[in-house]
Amino acid sequence: MRASFVFSEVITGLRRNVTMTIAMILTTAISLGMFGGGLLFVRTIDKMKASYLDDVEVTVYLTEDISANDRDCTGEPCASIRQALESNQAVESVVFEDRNEAYERFKRIFEGQPELVELARPEALPASLHVKLFDPARSDVIVQEFSGQAGVANVDDQNKFLDRFFSLLNSGRNGTFIIALIAALAAVLLIANTIQVSAYTRRTEVGIMRLVGATRWYTQLPFLLEAVVAGALGAIIGVGGLITLKYVALDRILEATGGAIPKIELIDVLFPVAPILLGVSMLISAITGYVTLRLYVRH
Amino acid sequence: MIRLDSVSKVYKTSARPALDGVSVDVDKGEFVFLIGPSGSGKSTFLRLLLREEVPTKGRVMVSNFDVAKMARRRIPRLRQTIGCVFQDFRLLANKTVAENVAFALEVIGKPKRTITKVVPEVLELVGLDGKADRMPNELSGGEQQRVAIARAFVNRPLVLLADEPTGNLDPDTSQDIMLLLERINRTGTTVLMATHDHSIVDSMRRRVVELHLGRVIRDDKRGVYGVGR
Repeated sequence: MRASFVFSEVITGLRRNVTMTIAMILTTAISLGMFGGGLLFVRTIDKMKASYLDDVEVTVYLTEDISANDRDCTGEPCASIRQALESNQAVESVVFEDRNEAYERFKRIFEGQPELVELARPEALPASLHVKLFDPARSDVIVQEFSGQAGVANVDDQNKFLDRFFSLLNSGRNGTFIIALIAALAAVLLIANTIQVSAYTRRTEVGIMRLVGATRWYTQLPFLLEAVVAGALGAIIGVGGLITLKYVALDRILEATGGAIPKIELIDVLFPVAPILLGVSMLISAITGYVTLRLYVRH
Repeated sequence: MIRLDSVSKVYKTSARPALDGVSVDVDKGEFVFLIGPSGSGKSTFLRLLLREEVPTKGRVMVSNFDVAKMARRRIPRLRQTIGCVFQDFRLLANKTVAENVAFALEVIGKPKRTITKVVPEVLELVGLDGKADRMPNELSGGEQQRVAIARAFVNRPLVLLADEPTGNLDPDTSQDIMLLLERINRTGTTVLMATHDHSIVDSMRRRVVELHLGRVIRDDKRGVYGVGR
């Protein structure tokens, strides 16, 4: 196989049908960009889960009666609630926080908003038991068992809030993947069509090649490579688009969340997303090309 | 070199067979005219030899290839032993004369060294030395057909198939092309030429196989076109 021959055929092929080639590359790029965006979504969600779930706790808020009178949770019913929590299999640790400590924490949290701190009084805040679980995802058990017990005002599960938050991110991710899939379908159809057009415009050449006894590889490899090259270019543009998007928009948007959503690092885009996109793109182009040639182009 | 043994070909779209029990034997180095009116089966005959078609019945041998039975992946091998020339030349308009000829070698993976050596030789053989860098549209019809013959012959095929090679040419030019085909035949290449051209067949006095409605109705060692009619 003479590489220079195949290579020059590929270049002429791509140039012969420039508008179609550009459409094919751009559609591929959009599809892959969306797909890459979805992958970054997944990665971000994973990162967030890892960092948040460590800190997730269930807070058992105690009634006004206990908050006012039982300063160290030694009286009933606080002591027995604490006892029950500590002996629970799922619980890693229990920390009692009285309303003064709660007030201190409140002041710390809202340091930046002194007018809010000024309004707050220790008497307005309930005492609570902060429960840390071995497996934060299994907080339901605690919530069910302790809600409504004597001495318990209410049970707050941070996991519930995070669940809602993550399900929002998950639907963002799913939406991205769906659009990527639709764009991918368009890209595949464009690739198939481009190869057909390409094979048609080169039918004289291909006819001569067949007559003089060129092998299937010789006659069809140029078309196949045309698709693969376009796929690779699409992937490169897609990755370029993601990097651009990161610097011009995402960085600023994510910074505005104050670190609630971790920033997307350049390295996340370059690895593993970029090689995945390149590989997926070239593979799909090659398969599309091969199938098209099998179905529509006579050898 | 070429042997058809009770070959029939029926196309799905037609009730009448294109070839009907055709048996023909062509020795190595022979020059054979294949004549007959349109629709007599000449094209099908040639297409069977190239394995563009598979016979419905019978056996087709070209050199050592059992053409109808051979595996698809061996078809390129078969075609590398057969050169083809057509009425419409089928040159690549965007390539020069030399590139057109070289193309036939490039696509079967011949090394560049061989190509640069062989192409000028064959261009000289067909009388086109000095026109290697011309584009096809700068050449006369006869010259274009010479390029096509050079391309068909450059890989030194055992068999040269010519389908109405003079169909688009004036009588003088046709004579020149026939001389060229004769010269190629003298190198030992078997030549099989389908034609309508009475005067050429009559003047050459070579073997004539006449087809009519898919049957061989005449096979003369030294025939003329219109004998007995």
